[in-house]
Amino acid sequence: MKTTKLKVALIVLVVMGIGFSFTTINKVTVKGSDTMVILSQKWAEVYMKKNPGTSIQVTGGGSGVGLAALINGSTDIANSSRPIKPSEVEKLKARYNSMGVEIPCAKDGLSIYLNKSNAVSTLTIKQIGQIFAGKITNWKEVGGADAPIKLYGRESSSGTFTFFKDNVVRTDFSPACQTLPGTAAIVNAVKKDKNSIGYGGAAYAEGVKDCAVKKDDKSPAILPTGATIKNHTYPISRYLYMYLKSKPTGETKAFIDWILSPAGQGMIEEVGYFPLK
Amino acid sequence: MKKIIVAVLAFGFGIANAQEVENDSIKSMGSISIDSLQQSINEHQMKFDALNEQLSPMQEQVDRMTKLKISGYMQVQFEMYNYQDVPVVTPASGTTPAKTTYYQLKPNSSETNIPLSTNPVDINNSFNIRRARIKFTYQPLEGVIFVLQPNFSFSAVTLKDAYVQLNDPWINSFQLWIGQFNRPDYEVEFSSRDRILMERTRMSGILYPQERDLGAKISMNLATQYEIPLKIDLAAFNGNFGEGPIANQVTDVDSEKDFVLRTTYSLQFPKQGLGIDFGASGYYGKNTVFAAGTYSDVNNKPFTAAVGDKLKKQWFGAEIQVFSDLLGGIAFKSEFNKGVISGTAGAAIVNNNPSFNFSGERDFTGYYVTVEKNFGTKFQGGVRYDSWDPNNKLSGNEVTVAPDLKVHTWGFAVHYFFTTNTKIGLGYTLPINETSSTVGGIYNKDITNNTATLRFQASF
Repeated sequence: MKTTKLKVALIVLVVMGIGFSFTTINKVTVKGSDTMVILSQKWAEVYMKKNPGTSIQVTGGGSGVGLAALINGSTDIANSSRPIKPSEVEKLKARYNSMGVEIPCAKDGLSIYLNKSNAVSTLTIKQIGQIFAGKITNWKEVGGADAPIKLYGRESSSGTFTFFKDNVVRTDFSPACQTLPGTAAIVNAVKKDKNSIGYGGAAYAEGVKDCAVKKDDKSPAILPTGATIKNHTYPISRYLYMYLKSKPTGETKAFIDWILSPAGQGMIEEVGYFPLK
Repeated sequence: MKKIIVAVLAFGFGIANAQEVENDSIKSMGSISIDSLQQSINEHQMKFDALNEQLSPMQEQVDRMTKLKISGYMQVQFEMYNYQDVPVVTPASGTTPAKTTYYQLKPNSSETNIPLSTNPVDINNSFNIRRARIKFTYQPLEGVIFVLQPNFSFSAVTLKDAYVQLNDPWINSFQLWIGQFNRPDYEVEFSSRDRILMERTRMSGILYPQERDLGAKISMNLATQYEIPLKIDLAAFNGNFGEGPIANQVTDVDSEKDFVLRTTYSLQFPKQGLGIDFGASGYYGKNTVFAAGTYSDVNNKPFTAAVGDKLKKQWFGAEIQVFSDLLGGIAFKSEFNKGVISGTAGAAIVNNNPSFNFSGERDFTGYYVTVEKNFGTKFQGGVRYDSWDPNNKLSGNEVTVAPDLKVHTWGFAVHYFFTTNTKIGLGYTLPINETSSTVGGIYNKDITNNTATLRFQASF
């Protein structure tokens, strides 16, 4: 009896061994933008359900961290909420002899968060830049109450930080700008402090009000809505990207193809961003 | 039955726990006064304030530390050489019967460009520290960068980089560099930590001894602000770094400056996964004669040079680098330089280029072609052909002195990355020199001087 059981156990082990040896887990790693992490996780979750045996591992850390991981070979895909920098392309050239592959996968608008009780509801890009650079320090200078402006922003590894710095602030941030880890923290801080201002993805503006943004003094004030971000009339719009070392192959290609398909693109608005088309 | 017992036990456990909750302090909340709550909040607030007070100076220190970046790398290697026996006749002249002794051409030290250096005992392998460098980059303010990079060898510490870099805050397109840094050239500026072939080409080694020089550079890069992939470097250098005795390299020796202009443009074809960088450069400088004597001009005509005379040092160059996504990353790189190089022979003499030990001017041509390929993320390999002709006017048996002989070099290398920061490389270098029966001796045939290198690199 014991011998029979042992034989059965051995046969089962052998069958399982052979079975597992044929069951390959296709692992794809995704790292980078905190702005994109929820969207990316959602994509991974749905994709893995549809494709059993595939493992998509998603982590955040910021766009700069994701691109650094791509350069040093520790991730397959780098999520970035800003375009890759020329210096990062140079590093890819030096290490992999390739230029890298850029795949825009969604659109986003950077919202300027204001406290709901703030009298100010419209600002020009120049004013926003001067506020975050510390050149405008009191709300009365932009038509608000006589109160000092409290600034909240992201840490420097964040693509949102870099995009906002390059396209809005265009100089150094004010040393008084308090950096917080993540957009949700910024929204929370602005919600509590009536003299504060912050920035982040348009989807996160819950409990605060979006500031209508004017490209310049003569332009109309535009609120960050789905329509204005999609058609790029909202002045602080951007693409969200995935970067790879070279053209995707295998499971990575299948995953990206699915993201760009109507099925993957259809999920973007659920998370608060906007599809490419 | 068992299931029923387990269910009853679980239910009983829940009741028991619920009874515990009834005795919880929450029930006695009614007895807590607002004043005592306020007192408790105040106590906690004080604790938070105390913590904040402790953290603030630490945060300041962390902020200060983040302005300093430290990176570095070390290359240690094992080399195996072919070696050339050099017949040495003693005494060179005299009445006693001459005796021929065979000495070994010192590995890695010379072929045709510098005087023969020999070992009395054969050496065909050696351990070597190729690089041991730490780079300190300090950025006290946005756009102001200080860089210091010492190099450690077993017998000395030398300074490789020491410069200040100022970025223009207005249009974010200009940089000013002042100090000691690489001369503007693709191969020179490409860090040896990323290089696939084991050494730079013979051409780069001769035109840019020690790669660095002391001077200033204005760099314009229109890619960041205007998305125009054009870069222009204009630099002025003392022009004597890496030449002659070290004491003469700390300041200029003749007030003459060498000027370098390099411009590059990058084309990108994202759909094809193709990038093409190309550029042109010009070098304009002079060498002052510090040792009067007989020199020869580019046509090999002898002339007498006096102290203070100027010799030409000027060339133009072209370069191209093609990066393609084909099969996961392949690059083609090439540079070409043509012009006049000059110098003075003698290791102890100012303006003696150790790799161009020659008294006079020479019309030269140099180029290289490299193909590099990545295989996945772990392997990469490369092949290079480089050519250096120090005297375009003479070839073959017309050449009368060894430094005028042309040298072609084949290089091969493969690397394996253990981790992202550590790799092992195997390289093989085959220099093939032009032969001349007029020069004679070991130059009647190709010198036996191939080198195999096994290199370990760690970087951080």
